[in-house]
Amino acid sequence: MLFNYLKIGCRNLLKNKGFSAINITGLAIGMASAILIFLWIYDEVTYEQFHEKKDRIYEAWNLASFSGELHAWNTTPKVLAAAIQKDLPEVETTTRAAWPQRIQFAVGEKKINASGQTVDSTFLQVFSFPLLKGDPVTALMDPLGVVVTEDLGRSLFGSTDVLGKTVRIDNRKEKKITGVAATPPANSRFQFEYLLPWADLRTDGDDDAYWGNNSVRNYVLLKANASPASANAKMKVLKPRYDKEDPNWQMFLYPMSRWRLYSSFESGKETGGIIVYVRIFATIAILILLIACINFMNLSTARSEKRAKEVGIRKVAGALRGHLVGQFLGESVMIAFIAGLLAVLIVVLSLPGFNRLAEKTMRLPFGEPAFWLLLLGTIVLTGVVAGSYPAFYLSSFRPVSVLKGTFRKINALITPRKLLVITQFSVAIMLILSTIVIRKQLQYAQERQTGYDKAGLTYMFMTGDMDKNYLLIRQELLQSGAAASVTKTSSPLTQNWSDTWGIFWDGKSPDDKTDFDRFSADENLAVTAGLTMVMGRDFDLSKYPTDSTAMLLNESALKTMGFKDPLGRIVKDGDMEFHIVGVFKDFILGSPYYPTKPMVVEGAKRWFNVIHVKLNNKNSVAASLKKMEAICKKYNPQFPFEYHFTDEEYDKKFANEQRIATLSAYFAALTIFISCLGLFGLAAYMTATRVKEIGVRKVLGASVSSITSLLTKDFLKLIGISFLIGAPIAWYCMHHWLQSYPYRTAIEWWLFALTGLLTAAIAIATVGYNAIKAALANPVKSLRSE
Amino acid sequence: MIKITDLEKYYRTEEVETVALNKLSIEVKEGEFVAVMGPSGCGKSTLLNILGLLDDPDAGSFLFNGIEVAKFNERKRADLRKHNIGFVFQSFNLIDELTVFENVELPLIYTGVKAAERKKIVEEVLDKMVIMHRRNHYPQQLSGGQQQRVAVARAVVNNPKLILADEPTGNLDSSNGNEVMQLLTDLNEQGTTIVMVTHSEHDARYSHRIIRMLDGQTVMENIMV
Repeated sequence: MLFNYLKIGCRNLLKNKGFSAINITGLAIGMASAILIFLWIYDEVTYEQFHEKKDRIYEAWNLASFSGELHAWNTTPKVLAAAIQKDLPEVETTTRAAWPQRIQFAVGEKKINASGQTVDSTFLQVFSFPLLKGDPVTALMDPLGVVVTEDLGRSLFGSTDVLGKTVRIDNRKEKKITGVAATPPANSRFQFEYLLPWADLRTDGDDDAYWGNNSVRNYVLLKANASPASANAKMKVLKPRYDKEDPNWQMFLYPMSRWRLYSSFESGKETGGIIVYVRIFATIAILILLIACINFMNLSTARSEKRAKEVGIRKVAGALRGHLVGQFLGESVMIAFIAGLLAVLIVVLSLPGFNRLAEKTMRLPFGEPAFWLLLLGTIVLTGVVAGSYPAFYLSSFRPVSVLKGTFRKINALITPRKLLVITQFSVAIMLILSTIVIRKQLQYAQERQTGYDKAGLTYMFMTGDMDKNYLLIRQELLQSGAAASVTKTSSPLTQNWSDTWGIFWDGKSPDDKTDFDRFSADENLAVTAGLTMVMGRDFDLSKYPTDSTAMLLNESALKTMGFKDPLGRIVKDGDMEFHIVGVFKDFILGSPYYPTKPMVVEGAKRWFNVIHVKLNNKNSVAASLKKMEAICKKYNPQFPFEYHFTDEEYDKKFANEQRIATLSAYFAALTIFISCLGLFGLAAYMTATRVKEIGVRKVLGASVSSITSLLTKDFLKLIGISFLIGAPIAWYCMHHWLQSYPYRTAIEWWLFALTGLLTAAIAIATVGYNAIKAALANPVKSLRSE
Repeated sequence: MIKITDLEKYYRTEEVETVALNKLSIEVKEGEFVAVMGPSGCGKSTLLNILGLLDDPDAGSFLFNGIEVAKFNERKRADLRKHNIGFVFQSFNLIDELTVFENVELPLIYTGVKAAERKKIVEEVLDKMVIMHRRNHYPQQLSGGQQQRVAVARAVVNNPKLILADEPTGNLDSSNGNEVMQLLTDLNEQGTTIVMVTHSEHDARYSHRIIRMLDGQTVMENIMV
């Protein structure tokens, strides 16, 4: 019997090629989209899942109140690890990790810049990064040692047999390779090419025991049967025991299972994080698949008159309803199977592009039986869902009606088929409207005035001898005509590396814990960055040598401090005193979606990491960069010339929203495409069933336009209803989404009008083809065929 | 074999109720060949559908081999139908996507006959109907007469006790029509009971008895000599 079903299923597929193509294409695209999205979700939910001790690993977080608002964050003091080890008996061990850094590795003449971290010697015992060579217990104990990945080892030495070999780091110290690690899995927060031992940091004088310096990540491995609640109770009161400055400052241990997906905090409470996108995309995947299934349902039931005779004959021949349900479900599973294979092909072809878009390295795990089982399960489920309604609908036909020709299609006000079209287009309208709102929000933020001039503004991180030779480099950059202006700063203008609530001025309230962005520059900051001075002047060390302890404020800082006449006023940062020489208009240092914070720019006495260069617009960019390269190589020969354009770096602030906008645009396009595919097929069948009516109307004098409108208006009504359902849902979702951006666009009425018109235009174009074709047909021919 | 007593069937729409069968009583004995005649709308097709358990009466009794089947549920009806009744329609009602062989094989699939045996039975029947040479063709590739012979083959493949034929020659020319009537006569002579609805006096003459109907009732019976 099964063979008979398969046989007739295959023949039906081949006989109705158009129908089959629409169904298979729709299902394949739906399944391919779902597979891609589920690959992304799988990648997200398996973050850090490879660590053997993952259930016992925690990260220490701060929980403290500033200006009445509770904040939670995960950079903590270096000294914390020892205190945890001492005071929490639940803890087996701790490990720390400093900020990732890019440093130079050299072997002979070969120089490679690699990213990595300085970590405690216990790092490889807490986290599961297996060493291919070396002992994980001792590899990070040797102050002169370094662990490298096999890829870095191969790049440096041409082989992975590098244990015990020596490398030169940052052209200033020799290190012996004490371990060769496998490259970390992509779905981990730790993406390192090297690991330096904590002792190295100590040797460089960068270790400290200051409780106020939140500068590293502290990780905790609990004992096997330890209670996290008990450990957390002790964490809560840990800091005040050692640091009397702030008795209300709490800390807590945050489990590894929540790091990736849930670590977004507002007012000290978890508010979601990537899990929100996981849920959104999972919903989208299911909706796209459902829309493809709806196509199948619609087209199958639209063709019901063609299949009715077969149902009647089979029933007369002794088939029970169950036999027929089985047969039709079998057919839909078969179609889903073909679509599934096509979907895998589509995924294979589109995965590189999707990986680029999602900035991941996902792959289809062909070698894993679980993948095939899941794929097969998805195919069968899709087939059953898609085939369920047609199967029960078609098998319900009474043989007497269909065989005697008294079977008639339903033309009620509300039919399941109409409901299905409405469902499809409601989803499509939701996605279109959401995409437009996301794009508008992105554009709104991108068009926000940055407060500085990005054009021709480049920056370089100071490596090797650049700091020592800075004055020479600056002088040559200006003399050569490559630069119009040069300044040395603590961080790039696009990044906030330091903030503090330890700024003091006369009249500051003792309760005021305003957090200031802290930046530093030597001189010519305003002219190089194109800042607008509203009061006073820029730093100028040649004219005013005391500017090394001068300070610039932004307007928000001035407002916070409340000075009426700020110039010359003294402001303290910790132990250092600065005098205010100027006030500039706010510029965006952090997120373009948030209001600018109060900001202080401290003078040349502070530390510097970056050189900003405003390129001379009289020369071409390429010529200026060439000159810059020559000058940097002259004064910093051991390091490669690396530069960044500020405008490109600024654009990276929108990467997340850009990615969401692009993904939602793709999904909206796919949804509308699949829906239109179904609508096209449906319109074709609907038109075919009205051939006689069209013929009669034409004979009676109906024009082409009146027939076209007759055939199109029913579908447009459905689109109208879909709009009334989809638009409010989209508004609700997008309104909610926009609330996470303090600097946000408005959802205006014209967005709805645009979405409605766009959807109607697409629907008319889809249905119109069949309608016009039917309207232009010769009525004599259509009446004769009846 | 068949005994119906005071059978009633109504068709209702929102505005009107039509009486299709009005307290109809008929008996058909095993081995009989009965023709049912009457003008359009007299209820003869409704009668045939009820006899074939494709439709259920609103009132009255229907005994099939002495068993009351008027209130049978769908499963019981399908079971009785597939083992005992074969159908021949005016418009052949073959499945376009199946070959001649597969169309004839269909009832055997639903009665659970094994594939090898099915092949044997179908080939025997096709041979008997002189359509074996067309076994791999599709219905559209056959003439009307050939299609009806396939339909008859399908009707008899399960060796039913009763064949119900609804204007079996209605779509055929006289030569093909005679051929089909001869097939039915041969089947009847081999013991199969046949009830045939027809408009054709010529075809009716192949039967043993003609029941004439009007407005859902029997108005006359002619015994053929």
